[in-house]
Amino acid sequence: MSTSSSTLRAGIRQAPRSGARLWKLQRSERLAGYGFIVPITVLFVLFVGWPIVFAIYLSFTRWSGFGAPNVIGLDNYTRMFSDPVAATAFGNTLLFAIVTTVLQTVIPLIIAVLLSNVWRGLSVVVRTILFIPGIISFVVSGVLWKLIYDPNLGTLNNLLKAIGLGALQQHWLSDPAVVLPSIIVVSLWGAVGMNMLIFFAGIQGVDPTYYEAAQVDGANRLQQFWYVTMPSLRVVTAIVISLNLMNGFKVFDLIYVMTAGGPNHASEVFGTYLYSLAFGSTAGSIPQLGYGSAFSVIVMLLCGVAVLVQIVLSRRASR
Amino acid sequence: MPSNRGSSFFASAAGTPITRRGLLKASGAGAAAIGLSSLLAACSTGGGSSSGGKATVRMWTWYTEIKDTLPKVISDFESKHPNIKIENRIFGTPDQYLPALTAAVSGGDVPEIFAPHVRAITYGEQGISADLKKDLGSDFLKGFFKSTNDEYTKGGKQYAVGFEAQTFGIFYDPDLLAKAGVDGEPETWDDLIEAAAKINAIGKSAVSISCNPGTSALDFFLPLITQVTDDPTWYLKLDQLEKGYSYTSKPVVQALELNDKIVKGKVFQPGTTGTSGDQSQQLFYTGGAAMFFAGSWTPSGLITNASPDFVKRYKIMKTPAIKSGARHWTADQAGAGLAVSETSKNKDAALTFLKYLYSEGVYSNLMNASNAMPSTQAAVEQITEPHVKQMAGWLTDGCPHIPFGSGSSAAGDPLQKIFDQTATPAEVAKQMQSAVENARG
Amino acid sequence: MTALLSRAEPASSAVGAKAVRRRRFPVGRSFVAFILLAVAAFTIFPLIWLVLTSIRPANTVFGGSIWPTSVSLDAYAKAWSSTDFGLHFANSLWITLATVLGVVVFASLAGYAFAKLRFPFKNVIYVMLLATLMMPSTSLIIPLYLQLKSFGLLNSQVGLLVLYVSSSAPFSMFLMRAFFETLPDELVQAARIDGAGEFQIFWRIVLPLARPGLATVIIFQFLQTWNEFIYANTVLQNTEELPLQPVLFGLVGQYQTDWPTLCAGLTMSIVPVVLVYVWMQRQFVAGMTLGAVKN
Repeated sequence: MSTSSSTLRAGIRQAPRSGARLWKLQRSERLAGYGFIVPITVLFVLFVGWPIVFAIYLSFTRWSGFGAPNVIGLDNYTRMFSDPVAATAFGNTLLFAIVTTVLQTVIPLIIAVLLSNVWRGLSVVVRTILFIPGIISFVVSGVLWKLIYDPNLGTLNNLLKAIGLGALQQHWLSDPAVVLPSIIVVSLWGAVGMNMLIFFAGIQGVDPTYYEAAQVDGANRLQQFWYVTMPSLRVVTAIVISLNLMNGFKVFDLIYVMTAGGPNHASEVFGTYLYSLAFGSTAGSIPQLGYGSAFSVIVMLLCGVAVLVQIVLSRRASR
Repeated sequence: MPSNRGSSFFASAAGTPITRRGLLKASGAGAAAIGLSSLLAACSTGGGSSSGGKATVRMWTWYTEIKDTLPKVISDFESKHPNIKIENRIFGTPDQYLPALTAAVSGGDVPEIFAPHVRAITYGEQGISADLKKDLGSDFLKGFFKSTNDEYTKGGKQYAVGFEAQTFGIFYDPDLLAKAGVDGEPETWDDLIEAAAKINAIGKSAVSISCNPGTSALDFFLPLITQVTDDPTWYLKLDQLEKGYSYTSKPVVQALELNDKIVKGKVFQPGTTGTSGDQSQQLFYTGGAAMFFAGSWTPSGLITNASPDFVKRYKIMKTPAIKSGARHWTADQAGAGLAVSETSKNKDAALTFLKYLYSEGVYSNLMNASNAMPSTQAAVEQITEPHVKQMAGWLTDGCPHIPFGSGSSAAGDPLQKIFDQTATPAEVAKQMQSAVENARG
Repeated sequence: MTALLSRAEPASSAVGAKAVRRRRFPVGRSFVAFILLAVAAFTIFPLIWLVLTSIRPANTVFGGSIWPTSVSLDAYAKAWSSTDFGLHFANSLWITLATVLGVVVFASLAGYAFAKLRFPFKNVIYVMLLATLMMPSTSLIIPLYLQLKSFGLLNSQVGLLVLYVSSSAPFSMFLMRAFFETLPDELVQAARIDGAGEFQIFWRIVLPLARPGLATVIIFQFLQTWNEFIYANTVLQNTEELPLQPVLFGLVGQYQTDWPTLCAGLTMSIVPVVLVYVWMQRQFVAGMTLGAVKN
């Protein structure tokens, strides 16, 4: 349904000025507001909020999962500063998050634009194909790509040999210089589909008359993209950026399945490190749930930054 | 746009019975529904409790070898003991299993029988796993190989029993060795390095090994410490970081130098630190490597994955010794053990099942059917699979390779640098010490 | 989702717009198509490996040629029976559908409230709910386990369901709110003035316009729940109640994996998600262009 501006103005002119009806409307709005959010908030408090509070509490303790947690104040946090693994994990986490955010925002955007400008049939087929990796969980992707990256038997090295680029062969997952980029490729492979879809929907929603108007004004294709498409996509882009950032900071399954943070912590990120500390089969005999929780608090703070980023970018967009 | 369209639409909408009050009721009902479902769920929860006079014994492991063979043992047991029900759960890998175990322990509801992994002694000291010396008796434990008992013992108490033992050796393809001109089985590490040169000359890797994760690298390295000291208890003390034992001690550095020499001799395939267990096995049976360093779980894996020709022709040799005539110390602890929950109310039922599981005939049949290496002398004598039988014969030269101590497994990470050739033995020794101390917290 | 913003003048017809676009890019199209096909090939190739592996015998997975010389569907039969595929598939189906339903209802209600309704402390509550997105999931395993235990929800599919809905609804709410925000406020105000109740406005007026948003949430939520693994593994103890993913991953051993069976199981488990996606796709794109034309 649609409304014309004249109807709207007419409607607003009829708005009650008298106190009683206005107050009643506001009260019903307020009640509805609270009513609508009751289910999600109740569930949140019970099954998200409280566990988060408990995890934060654990970060100030030493606990192995049995007996009572032993409160040790800020010791876990100060330990981070002298822990070389934590320092490596910090660097890798930032690097991973930022690089994947850039790649997983720009590339899907470009592909979405390209897809908007080809024959419809091809567009549907390619869109579906690109989406399929996103359907598979990261655990499965990790296992698949680990086989592809195998230095001796894997398809990638064999392919390079076959087309004469044998010199480019690498120990994709065991060479510390190459391991993070190799994993980033896999993350990109899985993330393009969903992000591209979001951008594609956004582009489809842009009113074609805008493009006509721009063309009439003499803009070429690139200028049309920059001055018509991009501004309409600002809010979407802000969302995609912040989601990618958060997922980058929290990353765990993908890296753990492929390298478990190795070799020798070259691909260790906060997500894998805190898992190893709490549950890892390779982290030794005593679970360190307290120290691990301290890392999850750090990740939470980083994600808070990502949310701020999104709010700032969105606010700029709607101006 | 016609302006009366809006009003007629709202007129119809206003006719519906949904009101503001109804909405509030709805969200209240929603929250109530959740509460109700919790109540219903609470009535139906009952893991590990008795129901109708039956005691339920949960058994949690990741021992996929017995996935197809254990159910028969369970049903036989249940027909003899109708008041005990066994709930068997086999996870895929330790990483899938450990969160569930940790959570169960934190919730105070430990499964009756569980795979303790490297936490056997820690859980034992905390009163989570039972002292089996007391509960099963020394007569029962006598039948197990000494190393499998020792690894789970501290302070005179034993907190788990070995289920599947692992003996390590070098699997090899005789055809490839012959092709390379290697005569017989290399006896010492020097012989192996010589052989590697010949094998590399025909374009193959000599020994396929997995160094990912770091603990797999420890499987190779830790026995070298025993070879250097000729004392299988030396590492047990280092593992617990007892006084006077450190990773910078002379035996460790010597072992690292030996390991370094072997790597420099181009014995292993490229990229060991990025190769996982199953990948290293693949390299072997696809003919990329002439030999393969792995444990006694391998024969059953090869039967599944390799071509029938390959399965017929491969052989196994002892891990090389440090010099001619020395003992071929080889890793052989039982990585797969079983612990019993101390606090469960069905502990006795669990012990009953355990005794049945290890009873004569039952245990050896199970191990044979699963192509697994048993931990008791009696069952070893009954092994039918020839390769497993051969490896069982080396158990007397067994030595430790599993880091049970707090933080010990962190030593595997700096060790990878020897395999990568990115650090010297002296440096790695220091890094091992600090990594272990760091992990202890 | 962005451009449902009001534009008073009627838009030109969709056909006209297409014609304009076609005139603009005659040559570039083939090149673009080529690039897209290359990207698609790169994307699909590991999945082709997955399917090929599921139809070949176990000992030709590695070391054989790329194309299997002997093909058999044995792995599918084995995957079906050895993992009790039917049972766990049904478990996954009901848990996922129930989760999606719960999430869609709660998230769209709350998303609308945050987007269009005014009430005190709105922003505070909203930011608090966003905290759900900020914790790595593995760090909450133990706290959640203990919390579920204290509510008696452990070892039950309902408990898992409650956990899934609680932890996923905020993200979907975040998406729905974004969709709702693109709708004009005047829409709601006019309806209010005409006497419609708040819920009526939501249900009859706003929600139908948010179909692309709902489709996105449904696809995303279905995917995420269908693939979830670690919480299902930890919360449920009774193996009969497990959904599909944990059971499939039981096929991945530490030292050896039955690749054909695993790949067969994975291929079978991907099918429903693809179906949901294809079905939602039509809703999604239809909703999009509908919005554009009308404006």
